[in-house]
Amino acid sequence: MKTASILLVPILLSSVVSLPRSLEAQPDGEMSGTEFFERRVRPLLVKHCYECHSEAEGSQKGGLLLDRESGWLDGGDTGKAVVPGNLGDSLLITAVGYADPDFEMPPKYQLEAHEVKIFEKWVRDGAAGPAEDMGETEFSQLGDQEVIFGKAKDHWSFQPMKKVTPPKTADPAWDENPIDQFVFAKLKEKGMTPSPTADHRTLIRRLSYKLNGLPPTKEEIATKDLNAYIDTLLESPRFGEHVGRYWLDVARYADTAITYRADTKTPHYYPYAFTYRDYVIDAFNHDKPFDLFVKEQLAADLLGSKEGDPTLAALGFIAVSPYRNMSHDFVDDVIDVTTRGILGMTVSCSRCHDHKFEPIPTADYYSLYGVFNSVNRPEPWKLDEFPIIKGYGRSPEEVADYQKLKTEIDQKIKKAGDSVKKGNNRSIREEIEQTDLAELLLFHEGGPIRAMSVSEKAKPTEPAIFIRGEVSSKGDRVPRRFLKIIDPEQKPFNPKNSGRLDLAGKMVDPENPLTARVYVNRIWAMLMGDPIVDTPSDFGLQGEAPSHPELLDFLALKFIEDGWSTKKLVRFIVTSKTFQQAGLNREEMVAIDPENEFLWRANRTRLRIEEIRDSLLAVGGQLDTRMRGRPGQIWGEEYTKRRSVYGYVNRFNIDPTLRNFDFPSPVQTQGSRTENIVSPQALFLMNSPFMVEQAASLISAVSLGEIDDRGERIEIIFARALQRSPTPGEIEKVERFMEIEESRDVDPWPLLAQSLLMSNEFLYVD
Amino acid sequence: MNNHSQLSRRTALQRLGFGMGAVAASDLLASVQGRDATDSPLSVRQPHFPGKAKRVIHLFMNGGPSQIDTFDPKPELKKLDGQELPDSVKETLQRTQRNRVGEIWASPFEFSKHGESGLEISELYPNVAKHADKLCVIRSMQSDIANHSPGLLMMNCGNPVLARPSIGSWVLYGLGTESEDLPGYVVLMPSGMPTAQSRNWTSSFLPGVYQGTHIETNSRGGEMIPHLKRNDIHTGTQRNLLRLTGALNERHAAARPGDERLDSRIHSMELAFRMQSAATDAFDITKEPESVRESYGDSPVGKNLLMARRLAERGVRYVQCYHGAGQPWDSHSGLLPNHQRLARESDQPIAALLEDLETRGMLEDTLVIWGGEMGRTSTIQKVATKDVNRIGRDHHVDGFTVWMAGGGVKGGMAYGETDDFGLAVATNPVHVHDLHATMLHLLGFDHEKLTYRFSGRDFRLTDVHGSVVKDLLA
Repeated sequence: MKTASILLVPILLSSVVSLPRSLEAQPDGEMSGTEFFERRVRPLLVKHCYECHSEAEGSQKGGLLLDRESGWLDGGDTGKAVVPGNLGDSLLITAVGYADPDFEMPPKYQLEAHEVKIFEKWVRDGAAGPAEDMGETEFSQLGDQEVIFGKAKDHWSFQPMKKVTPPKTADPAWDENPIDQFVFAKLKEKGMTPSPTADHRTLIRRLSYKLNGLPPTKEEIATKDLNAYIDTLLESPRFGEHVGRYWLDVARYADTAITYRADTKTPHYYPYAFTYRDYVIDAFNHDKPFDLFVKEQLAADLLGSKEGDPTLAALGFIAVSPYRNMSHDFVDDVIDVTTRGILGMTVSCSRCHDHKFEPIPTADYYSLYGVFNSVNRPEPWKLDEFPIIKGYGRSPEEVADYQKLKTEIDQKIKKAGDSVKKGNNRSIREEIEQTDLAELLLFHEGGPIRAMSVSEKAKPTEPAIFIRGEVSSKGDRVPRRFLKIIDPEQKPFNPKNSGRLDLAGKMVDPENPLTARVYVNRIWAMLMGDPIVDTPSDFGLQGEAPSHPELLDFLALKFIEDGWSTKKLVRFIVTSKTFQQAGLNREEMVAIDPENEFLWRANRTRLRIEEIRDSLLAVGGQLDTRMRGRPGQIWGEEYTKRRSVYGYVNRFNIDPTLRNFDFPSPVQTQGSRTENIVSPQALFLMNSPFMVEQAASLISAVSLGEIDDRGERIEIIFARALQRSPTPGEIEKVERFMEIEESRDVDPWPLLAQSLLMSNEFLYVD
Repeated sequence: MNNHSQLSRRTALQRLGFGMGAVAASDLLASVQGRDATDSPLSVRQPHFPGKAKRVIHLFMNGGPSQIDTFDPKPELKKLDGQELPDSVKETLQRTQRNRVGEIWASPFEFSKHGESGLEISELYPNVAKHADKLCVIRSMQSDIANHSPGLLMMNCGNPVLARPSIGSWVLYGLGTESEDLPGYVVLMPSGMPTAQSRNWTSSFLPGVYQGTHIETNSRGGEMIPHLKRNDIHTGTQRNLLRLTGALNERHAAARPGDERLDSRIHSMELAFRMQSAATDAFDITKEPESVRESYGDSPVGKNLLMARRLAERGVRYVQCYHGAGQPWDSHSGLLPNHQRLARESDQPIAALLEDLETRGMLEDTLVIWGGEMGRTSTIQKVATKDVNRIGRDHHVDGFTVWMAGGGVKGGMAYGETDDFGLAVATNPVHVHDLHATMLHLLGFDHEKLTYRFSGRDFRLTDVHGSVVKDLLA
């Protein structure tokens, strides 16, 4: 755009400035329409309008361009700017006349009366166009849906998935798994070769982290049968906890809204959000078919669920929105998480105008708006309005303790009655409900278990386009229906309800070219450390092209054939030679493909913060593997020793340590995490009480008291932390470290443990 | 290059909507991916054009100081004192206040001219007034929603409702930090948090490393930066521990050549070790000569501003100092004693800061900003009492005052005007988006080009708004 403006400004100006002097004096009446435009109107446009409405300035506010005839004739978001000969219908005239207080242009000052007259004369006389009209350019076609739909016809992700026969390779070892055949063929085409299989310990550790998010035990390292080990990992309940956390990033999961009560400084709690988290974990553990997973998250209530059905918790996908109130922002967020999270389409960009780059007209946005605005979510603090669900065990003691505390709060609520707080007139009852009661329900294990669900409104919304996203300016009505680019017929959804089930059905239709590709790409990224499509939540025209398109289609089609089974997909990938390659650099390959786009080796990955925390607890023998239930604090004075996926996520005051380790802000769907290295991470590992405690736990866990031999002690600590023996070189370094500390009378063992726990070997997976 | 991260180089390039030359972009690329041992996501980067300001100290008068009692003189109101506002004016006030609009209350404080410029400042700020010729006062600020939380989020993040990155995060993302030993974006509070809490310094969808670091400077004994200190072992032991870790890491990295992230982590651990003493030193104001400490005053605000200067001096990019927890300037009642006290707490420290920055030659490239999230009405908020010590003013966002100093702004000037009632903007409106655009301009950024690709589009601090107020630039 920068180049464009440099080039275009002089041209435009010259067309104004370089006119012969003699003509300047010519009376208006003697000019042709075009002369009048260039001589009188254009200078005003340049001076007052082009800053916001010209290609030269790279600005098309309100969708309007005033540097070409088609610009003002077609007009912008609010309508035609100029209707030749008709002052009353020309919005340009209304705007510069400052006749409508909501529609004044230029916005900051009013034109002089004689300037307005020039515009009026021009329009009255037929609004003649420029001497040399720019016509349509790439810039003016931004957001031109007809042009974009034309481009989209050829875009890879909108094409049906193609079944390509995997190419035979020369190497029989690489001919067993179609993944390897595709990868090998690509490498060959680029003049590259794959890496050898990684050593056994590396593979076990890699599999353990990729499938369960935890380090292997020393016994697991000794496992001989890799395929049996993969099955064990897939069947472990740790699998759902680990993979579920990836989905929770996509679902922008948290236990609170993004706002708080200003008077009590407490976030707006979502006491039952955790049931959605548990639903997700269960879904992965039970290998719930992904199509059903999608349907339940969008419309579990419409699938004929019975009372107490735990699948109602799936609706948390909608309900755990960052926005506490049912508002336009709430609906927008749900559209965003649904379309980017599941379809890889950036639909919410079309809230105010047709998408500038993607085949998403505003009408499509408001079709989905109609769907999700037809949803009712009880106010998050109306705690009794969420349905009770089954499937959780609570001990009688927990329930009794909860009842006792609940009774106390109920009494406070009763006592408060309808009274209000001094100073701000807020209801005291509501305050108690939103603070004491909500906290009790959020954190107390004995509390009732309810689904944070949504339901149907009595009457579904019949949506109309909000012009420029403004609620007050309603445009055409649109039916609730699916996206035009995927579903050209756009048959309206069931008129009797929100259409969520219809929508879900369209999303997981095996003919839908996006859903399976997007999901398979996410799983690939999780396992391989790098996706096939580098923009995992954007498969549109703006997104990246796949590095291995045939492989992506193969995986997506196989995934559908396999009944949308995540576990089968994972097993298929991790049993490939591609996955099992060594991760070392080879100079010749680095020279050709420094980024490993074509998978000539494995990608080394840093543990995510949840994996770091869980691993620290695990090697210290502290990890509490209880599943489900209320969230706990992840560190601090009293922290839970359960896995981090059960940690409390306060969206309003997001934990700074989590953020320092690239935990994504759960305010929008997140398709990938950044991987930064900054000193606050090091400070946490060096100094945090949490870290110091885990190092001490490790030492207690290995019972050094029973071992006298120093070498044996070092050996056992290495085995515990890194699941291997120290090398002679390492022993030497450790010995030197110990001598110094012992001479100072410092107990060196917990420090040795800490050193291993903050080492790169601990934090990276080869 | 070694791509082990989730985003590839091409994606990263696209995300960084700097619209700059390839060199600058590739710098950033390496840093955002954190792959280069010498180039962290926080390392120094060049903006779009040389900016006059290199850093910002934002003095946040949270709660909303009254413009007509501080920097926006309205002598005309003396004549109208005690009268009702005309209905036509009342209608323009935001709905939250309409039912509570009492009579016009002319400022109980005297204004006088100061400096060569003759800038008018109220008696609440006698020491700041001595620096009148440095001040660039904007009397025509506008924001959107007349309440604290949306007002703070608007002023900090450019959106009153949606989760957007704060300006400090944008600046850190754009410029990196000159201080390896300190967080690049620091939020100083005597104690507690302002209204809207950590959302005020969130990095939202920008990487987490660009979040502000919240520091309670009055917390005794506690560490100011999280996990900065460890008390159970001596420094010597810690150094020994890190030496061992370093040796293990070196060995590990040597067996995995070409992965710069591994070197980068070794480096960051060394950095963190140095940070422990450097950061402690930065926050230790006892290292200042007594005369300097005296000039700032031995008060929470004074200490904060002195720390702010020490941080700025060490290359911290963005320092924000809140007056106190919650919204101290909020003066629905008792405005007179409240504003007197708050001004007294901040007047001398702010004057000392301006003086100190100037003496050290730092004022010219340090942008100082004073202001709240909104202003206040010129009318009394309706109450039964007429006691001048108990009446107050309501929230007001359609015309209020902030000022800037240093960092490339003109001094000794007032820009824009409110109407005769000190309420609506009469000339030269400056919306918060315009203020943001101007601040970014001073730092060397075209606010329309400092973007981050997220969820399918390029986001920026000013969204689709904002224009640079050129009249403010020196």
